Amino acid sequence: MRAHMAQQTPYSDKRFLILDDQAEMRSSLRSQVGSLGCEQVTTAASVRDALQKLSVGSVDVILCDFYLGGGTDGQQFLEYLRTRRIIGRGVLFIMVTAEKGYESVVTAAECLPDDYLLKPFTADALRQRLERLLERKRRLARIDQLQDAGNWIGAASACDEIIAARDRYLVDALRIKGNALVQARQADNAIAFYRQVLSMRPLPWAKLGLARALQQQGSAEAAKQVLGELIDAAPKLTAAYDLLGKLHQDSGNTDAAIEILDKACRVAPNSLARQRSIAAVAEQKGDFARVEQALGQVIRKTRHSPLRETADFARLGNAYCEMGEAGKAVDLLEEARATGKEAAADPLLAAVEAIAQKKAGNAEKAAAALERALQADPAALTDDAALNLARACLLAGRQDSAQGILRRLVQGNPEAKQLHERITAVLRDNGAPDLAEQLVAESIREIVQLNNEAVRRAKAGDVAAAGEMLCEAAHRLPTNLQIMANAALVVYLDIFRNGLDSEKLRSAQAFQQAVQAQQPNHPKLAEIAALVEQVRSKYARSD
Amino acid sequence: MEFVDLAALTVHGVKNRLAILAARAEARGDRETLRDALEAAATLSRLLACYKAEKGQLTADIEACTPADLVAELVAEVRQQTALTISAELESAPELWFYDEHLIRMVIRDAIYNALRYARREVIIAARTRAGWLDLGVRDDGPGYPPQILARAAGSWPLSREGTGLGLYLADRVAALHCNGERHGRVELANSGGAAFHLLLPE
Repeated sequence: MRAHMAQQTPYSDKRFLILDDQAEMRSSLRSQVGSLGCEQVTTAASVRDALQKLSVGSVDVILCDFYLGGGTDGQQFLEYLRTRRIIGRGVLFIMVTAEKGYESVVTAAECLPDDYLLKPFTADALRQRLERLLERKRRLARIDQLQDAGNWIGAASACDEIIAARDRYLVDALRIKGNALVQARQADNAIAFYRQVLSMRPLPWAKLGLARALQQQGSAEAAKQVLGELIDAAPKLTAAYDLLGKLHQDSGNTDAAIEILDKACRVAPNSLARQRSIAAVAEQKGDFARVEQALGQVIRKTRHSPLRETADFARLGNAYCEMGEAGKAVDLLEEARATGKEAAADPLLAAVEAIAQKKAGNAEKAAAALERALQADPAALTDDAALNLARACLLAGRQDSAQGILRRLVQGNPEAKQLHERITAVLRDNGAPDLAEQLVAESIREIVQLNNEAVRRAKAGDVAAAGEMLCEAAHRLPTNLQIMANAALVVYLDIFRNGLDSEKLRSAQAFQQAVQAQQPNHPKLAEIAALVEQVRSKYARSD
Repeated sequence: MEFVDLAALTVHGVKNRLAILAARAEARGDRETLRDALEAAATLSRLLACYKAEKGQLTADIEACTPADLVAELVAEVRQQTALTISAELESAPELWFYDEHLIRMVIRDAIYNALRYARREVIIAARTRAGWLDLGVRDDGPGYPPQILARAAGSWPLSREGTGLGLYLADRVAALHCNGERHGRVELANSGGAAFHLLLPE
């Protein structure tokens, strides 16, 4: 009976994962957790081990030591879990550390642990902290679910309830609401909201949020000014440096971008994400020695760890090629390809390898790599993969393939001026200067014509033909939201006028959801929603 | 490698040992060893914080915190380490206040360890609001502060062998990092039936 009573705690049914590279600390933590009546405790000695355990069964609480040995740390592990969505927001992540301040630099709010627990601590202190944090998770559970589902508007309004209660979760709710407004792309609302919070108290996260919202609104200069003030006031908030670096990069000021990211590295030297940002800016600037320096560090730390990213190898391989070291590039890229199925099927890696093999004089291997790269679904290529694949095609003398890839890239992103410049540069630098002059403009003209023709046909009454044209284009160009939105509209209209067709309904819904997910404030969404309502009431009545 | 980095690594290693020692002591209910381990760790944290303060690198991450939770956790932690009566007074504690949880915890914990050395029967830890300030207080029923400490000018604490002066020096520095507009946090000491330490943080 007593034993049964002891189980009635808010945490005894929770599943724990303990990650610490030191065996003694693991077992000490395990017995502390065990003394609280928790029996479902798994331990892991490394990130690899922990990921394996997480893939087998889900957990409720992760206790992770900051130092994990071998160049990796708990913060990197947490960022990996969050960016890959391996754990939901409902999972409690507690960072265990000896000293707060050296390692707990503030990153993006998404990648913050729920709490830091400072060693040494007693089992009793752990119990109290767990009770408090689990209570908070319970209070925020619905908001966490809405956020996990990407329902930002729902999350923001769920926060209002807690804000109105003005209890101890008030500031948590304010923080989540601000972020939700930014995620929902309601820049004006977010700006007003953050200004209101800041008028009460100059909280660093609110200033950072304000800068994000200003960036989204297109007020880059105002955002830079806010970030400058923020960095002076809160020099440890590295997320501010990252955003400022991004703003400089977007305005083409790569020197300023690298300078600010370097400054962030002095505050927090171990962030993989930041070294990757530096590499991206340096690549844009054409400073390949710097790319090598940044990614060399990342790869040294992640080479034998699950935190390894194929894109790092591709980017570093490309930098070696650009520095005239094709042999070194080939070694690195072949090593990366050998690490697993995912890497072997990666089109960016294969495209860069095709370029490197070609430059190293291995024609056959180059052709094989290019074939592998071309097997990927063209609609699913990232911008970088598409650009490098086009380069590889041009080097192999396959100008038509290159053109097809780049045309699709322009038409999928008709507003992206910077990307257009990169496309032009690829053509110019790889033996197709005449194409460089016209490809972008021509591709845009083509897609605008297609769109206008479809709209004309729809207005003329032939919605079925218009729908077919737009559906084909929408499948080909899933990032072109104007095409996606028009496809949704015209197909719903077709259904409304010509009868319910389950296949058409499915594709219209898919287009609508894709627009909703990529840009929740897209101007056409309201029109689509109104049409959906009309469709619904028409067929509901006839039932 | 700079000395401070070496020191931080060493502190990390020593704290790991102390964590294992503390867990073992707690498991067998050994109050004295538990206190020695935890107090030694607190001393190391204070040393690093003082070094950072000297170098102008001590900064506060001011966030919304719950003072009642902080006091309740400290009371529970200290009760396991002593036979004295440790109690909390939280009737007028505010729901939320803005401060650096880690730094404030370090300062109050230091004040408690100091009180434990002089208290006869009890130590009381209190959180309450006082005209726009949060007052975090630690009172004991010991002989009170000696006159040379009460007569001090802020920032010039006489050092004692037990580290009292270092703790008060750090308390001053941490208090000063907490400001809202013109109002800066401060430390107040008094004798009223024992020593009374107050850390005042502006709204």
